[in-house]
Amino acid sequence: MTASSILDAYRLETEPKWHQTDDEIAMFSAAYGARLPVMLKGPTGCGKTRFVEHMAWRLKRPLVTVSCHEDMTASDLVGRYLLGPEGTHWQDGPLTLAVRHGAICYLDEIVEARQDTTVIIHALTDDRRILPLEKKGELVRAHPDFQLVISYNPGYQSVLKDLKESTKQRFCALDFDYPAAQVEAEIVASEAAIAQASAETLVRIAQKSRNLRGQGLSEGSSTRMLIHAGRLMAGGLSVSEACKLAMITPMTDDPEIRAALSAAVDACV
Amino acid sequence: MTPKYAQPCLRLSMPVSDTRTRPAPQADTLEARVAAAHARLAGAGYGVSVPRAFRQAAPQVANRLGDEAALALAGAASRIAIRTRPRIAAQFLDLSVPMARRLAAPEPFSRWIALLVGLLKPAPDIVEPLLERMEMLHQRLGIAPLEAWVQTGLRLAGSDLVLRRAFFTFELPEAVRLLERHAGEDTFQSLEGELRATHRALWGQSPPIREALPQSKGSAALRASFGAGVIQLPASYGGYRGRERFVYQAALAHIGAHMAYGGKRFQVGQLKPLQIAVVSLIEDARVETLALREMPGLARLWLPFHAVSSEGMATTPSLFGRLARALIDPDFPIRHGWLRKGVEMFRAGEGQIGNPALSRHIGNILGNDLGQTRVQFNARDYVVQPVYRDDNLGLWDLPPDPHEAQQHHHIDIETHDLRRSEETDQPQDRKTERADPNADMPPERVVAAPAASGIGRIVGHLPEYDYLAGIERADWVTVKEYEPGPGDPLFWRKLEDRHGPLLVRIRALVRAAAMGRQKRLKRQAEGERLDLDAAIEASIQLRARRTPDHRVYEGVTTPDRSIAVHLLLDTSHSTNDSVGPAGPSVIALLREATGVLAHAMTQLGDPLAITAFASDGRDDLRLVRVKQFHDDLGPLTGMALSGLRPGYSTRIGAAIRDAGATLATVPAHRRLVLILTDGEPSDIDIRDPDYLVADAKRAVQSLNSTGIDVFCIALGQGAGQRHAEIFSKRGFVQIDRLEALPEKLPALYLRMTR
Repeated sequence: MTASSILDAYRLETEPKWHQTDDEIAMFSAAYGARLPVMLKGPTGCGKTRFVEHMAWRLKRPLVTVSCHEDMTASDLVGRYLLGPEGTHWQDGPLTLAVRHGAICYLDEIVEARQDTTVIIHALTDDRRILPLEKKGELVRAHPDFQLVISYNPGYQSVLKDLKESTKQRFCALDFDYPAAQVEAEIVASEAAIAQASAETLVRIAQKSRNLRGQGLSEGSSTRMLIHAGRLMAGGLSVSEACKLAMITPMTDDPEIRAALSAAVDACV
Repeated sequence: MTPKYAQPCLRLSMPVSDTRTRPAPQADTLEARVAAAHARLAGAGYGVSVPRAFRQAAPQVANRLGDEAALALAGAASRIAIRTRPRIAAQFLDLSVPMARRLAAPEPFSRWIALLVGLLKPAPDIVEPLLERMEMLHQRLGIAPLEAWVQTGLRLAGSDLVLRRAFFTFELPEAVRLLERHAGEDTFQSLEGELRATHRALWGQSPPIREALPQSKGSAALRASFGAGVIQLPASYGGYRGRERFVYQAALAHIGAHMAYGGKRFQVGQLKPLQIAVVSLIEDARVETLALREMPGLARLWLPFHAVSSEGMATTPSLFGRLARALIDPDFPIRHGWLRKGVEMFRAGEGQIGNPALSRHIGNILGNDLGQTRVQFNARDYVVQPVYRDDNLGLWDLPPDPHEAQQHHHIDIETHDLRRSEETDQPQDRKTERADPNADMPPERVVAAPAASGIGRIVGHLPEYDYLAGIERADWVTVKEYEPGPGDPLFWRKLEDRHGPLLVRIRALVRAAAMGRQKRLKRQAEGERLDLDAAIEASIQLRARRTPDHRVYEGVTTPDRSIAVHLLLDTSHSTNDSVGPAGPSVIALLREATGVLAHAMTQLGDPLAITAFASDGRDDLRLVRVKQFHDDLGPLTGMALSGLRPGYSTRIGAAIRDAGATLATVPAHRRLVLILTDGEPSDIDIRDPDYLVADAKRAVQSLNSTGIDVFCIALGQGAGQRHAEIFSKRGFVQIDRLEALPEKLPALYLRMTR
């Protein structure tokens, strides 16, 4: 099997839409040109994943995405021996796959993974660009096209979960935030296929909810939530119903904050 | 004395019966029985009014609710007459007819009678004020909340008869507030959190939002107000039952618009009161118009309050109301020249609507026009309409008026504290009165001890559970934070000197506790690597063409330790006692043990908060925050710890609730409130020993239900009598030899958190 055919499933066929808000495309391309690892920072639902997909499509690289979780171990990333009918055999993990065959590997919400997991990427993210497979006794040299991208939500930062300083310092970082109101409205309108005016109302509501960030909500409504609400509206729900379904109820269980959000929706409609 | 009057056992049992379906002979019996009861009342020496009132009331009550209800009146009236005065018994009988109509069923009617009769023994003096206000009370509360409100009043006053009377005659503002709460009406207090969040969401600002103080005349504030960055809302909006939330929201949104779009305060200059009123009105409309451009939905909030007719007499209030509406409601028909002029000027000024000077310009002209007509304007009685708008004082740079200015200065800056200090004055008097030598009280209750310095800062209110009434009273305990006394900056070093070997031993213990947790797990379905033994076995099975066990991996348990602890130290007066004849005091041992434990916990990396608590009645739960979760264990913590001074009483339930609230925000798998106490719950304003025990038990249960464990370490031999009841048998441990506390505590902790 050739390298390209293994990764074919990871290639993006159609363009994931991206509305440029800054010159993040040029910046990312520059980092890719130098094969430097990139860290994407920003609140949830502001488009980090979509951006990586867009860049992979633009750079014509396959994209291997791993959503990190609490129980994820190093083996889940690099691979493990499996027991087959003919004895044991090695199975590459998603990271090894990308390193061997030259894909962009995107580790989503890396802080969620256990700290020992994050250490294995150290040798990959400096000038060595190697991945030691300790259990197999193999040293994988990274394919020239390989790049590592991680996402990191500073909102989750706590004593319990934070990246090690030694990890942080290996990355270039791009800061993401919710786009400006006008741009965000355009995004919502085009993604959800609703009228610009309705999208503007949704964005206004989202801004109200973002006012409560740190004052009852850990995050305000994300662009993703707005798009969901917009799709519900396109499906025939009223603004209040769509907001309740897609934005208020998922975000909080605190009755006071819910009441405040409902009041904000009522005020903007 | 324990007021047990509203217990179900006192309720008069009354079978339901209906006179209308009864055959005639039994109706005769009723008459005969009424006559007999009447004769008894007449012969009892209560005067003529009681039997006469009974004669009138009984048939009517019987007609509505049945014979038994009517006959029960006689017994109740007789007891009221004996315990209070015949006049009040007659008043009760007169009232029974309208109450029978209101209550409409025998069961609530008998509860109502039981409520009054039950009061005769513990509080006969309040029967009359209650009867006088009974119809109003029942209309607002209904029977069950009425019972609860009466209970609350009795408990609030305790044994202070003057206070009790003040409560039930509504001289105490608390009575009104509690009435509103029991009535389930939304007041400022009940909506406060929601309003704050709403304001923050809408405008992105969090100015202080306070309850307006009563005005100097003593009447409650009618309108919202703002100024100096502080928003004040009336304690309640009467007359908007069921819509209180909307009035508050509308008022707050209106003030938000002022703050977002308003300019500097207007100079009064030569303006007459009428002009000031009109300029304010235009300014109100101007900021609302701007707010509506951004948030059109606010119109749905505001417009329903603009209930004015476009017709009618052209009085000032009517014209003002119509103008206010016409300016923000384009569909409102305009049928008056003055209005037309105002609206046209306002529309013409649309280009400059962002400029407050527009309001001043239009207001001047309109005010002048109106002044030249013969329409009356009474500045003294003028109240801004509609109800949600503020009093406009925040718009104007008012000339200094000796009385008013003083008042406003206070309101602006110190509303909250003023409100509290009013409340705290009273109970202090009460305490001195009750601090009289009282033989059966434990010594802890009567001492006014020298304790933590300074004045407490109010940080919040906590509910408390009343087991007699079976209700949790919201905002019943006032939480105040105090600064610790002067402490020893060298606390840690001295601790190290005194307990050096112990600390070393504990360090080793801790290391073992932290390290020994990682375990290898064999034969797992998933894991880091193959478990060789299992893999070989599985291979053999495979080659033998049998189904192999799929659990061929091995892994390790996660070494994560995730426990957060809030340590509560009881620093009540009894901790001043020394251990043994010449030993150190309990509090000294507490400090050292806490120091040692805190040391151990920082090494483990477990988040720890330490709070010392004592109480001085329900309006002073005294907390000293020795260490918060985010603080490091440093010299400051040492000083705070060594600065703890004993004093006051032990209101344990409230302290537990407070600790639970702080723990709730800490991300940890296991959360623990650890209490070190040397005695049972007690406080100066509580005589019933079961009350605080029941409350503490309830607090523990409610924390448990949110996944927070509560564990108590009872110090000393006498302690622990009722702790099993509060914390359950497994929830506490008793340490008799207090000298061993510094040694035992960390070991105990490690065992508990393994």
